[in-house]
Amino acid sequence: MKKSKEFHHYLTGFALAAVLTIIPFALVATVGGARSYIVLVLCAILQVIVHFRFFLHLSFRSQQKEDLQLVLFTGFILFLMIGGTIWVLGDLYTRM
Amino acid sequence: MSAPTGRSLHPGLNLGEEHGDDHLEAETSVFGFWVFMMSDLVTFGMFFAVFATTVPLACCPGPKELFDFGSIAWQTTFLLLSSVTSGMAVLTMKQEHGGRGACTKKLVFWLLLTVLLGCGFLYREVSDFLSMAAAGGPPTRSGYLSALWSLVGLHGLHVTAGIIWCLVIVAGVLVRGVDRRWKLALLRWAVFWHFLDVIWIFIFSFVFLGGLL
Repeated sequence: MKKSKEFHHYLTGFALAAVLTIIPFALVATVGGARSYIVLVLCAILQVIVHFRFFLHLSFRSQQKEDLQLVLFTGFILFLMIGGTIWVLGDLYTRM
Repeated sequence: MSAPTGRSLHPGLNLGEEHGDDHLEAETSVFGFWVFMMSDLVTFGMFFAVFATTVPLACCPGPKELFDFGSIAWQTTFLLLSSVTSGMAVLTMKQEHGGRGACTKKLVFWLLLTVLLGCGFLYREVSDFLSMAAAGGPPTRSGYLSALWSLVGLHGLHVTAGIIWCLVIVAGVLVRGVDRRWKLALLRWAVFWHFLDVIWIFIFSFVFLGGLL
């Protein structure tokens, strides 16, 4: 029973990831335009969550506390560094 | 070392009780690799940040002239499929190598299929790089192109390393059997390989598709 459960876990992840990949590709191929960018960002974030949940088996429950803290802290560091870089240089760019 | 039964010891697929001490040993080994993976993620983050601060200049060909939509779709497909096959490899190890003397054929099959898909990805990526250079977009042309080449190239380098690592595991498994050493190596490699696909999501979404919009 456990065997098929984990197998289906991967298949679910694959199906979700495939859908979340096809949507942005189809959008860029057909509609395009700046408004599609929001969907692009949304699909990317959702797909990252799908990958973490179904492929890397990371969840908020049944997880060692340190593991989740490690990932969340890295996310925070990334937010500071990327956000900060774009903020500072974007500000300079508009002043040029 | 007295871990409660049935609990997840580390992020990622756990070997489980039937693997005995190998399962317990994996806790520190895989957690340590996650720490490395997170630092690697920060490195990629900085490459993304640099890329985000550059703009395609009028002097040189831009995303619309340089990017091959079909090729990006193929690369994404290859990498996503390889992520699933690498998961199948770990799952095979978990389910069939708890005891001794289990058949390694199935495990090697999934690993080699992953390598094949990875090579397919690399082939498309390298041919894209070559056609980009031919279309007047070598990395030396502008800041934007430098950032693009180094970000995508860094990911390609990781994929290459992942393929070599996988081949080493295949050789080790064939020569020495699926013992603790190769079990732990396979667990860590699987985390690495899944991460490459996660990073590729950002690359195809923001660099390629975002550039084409």
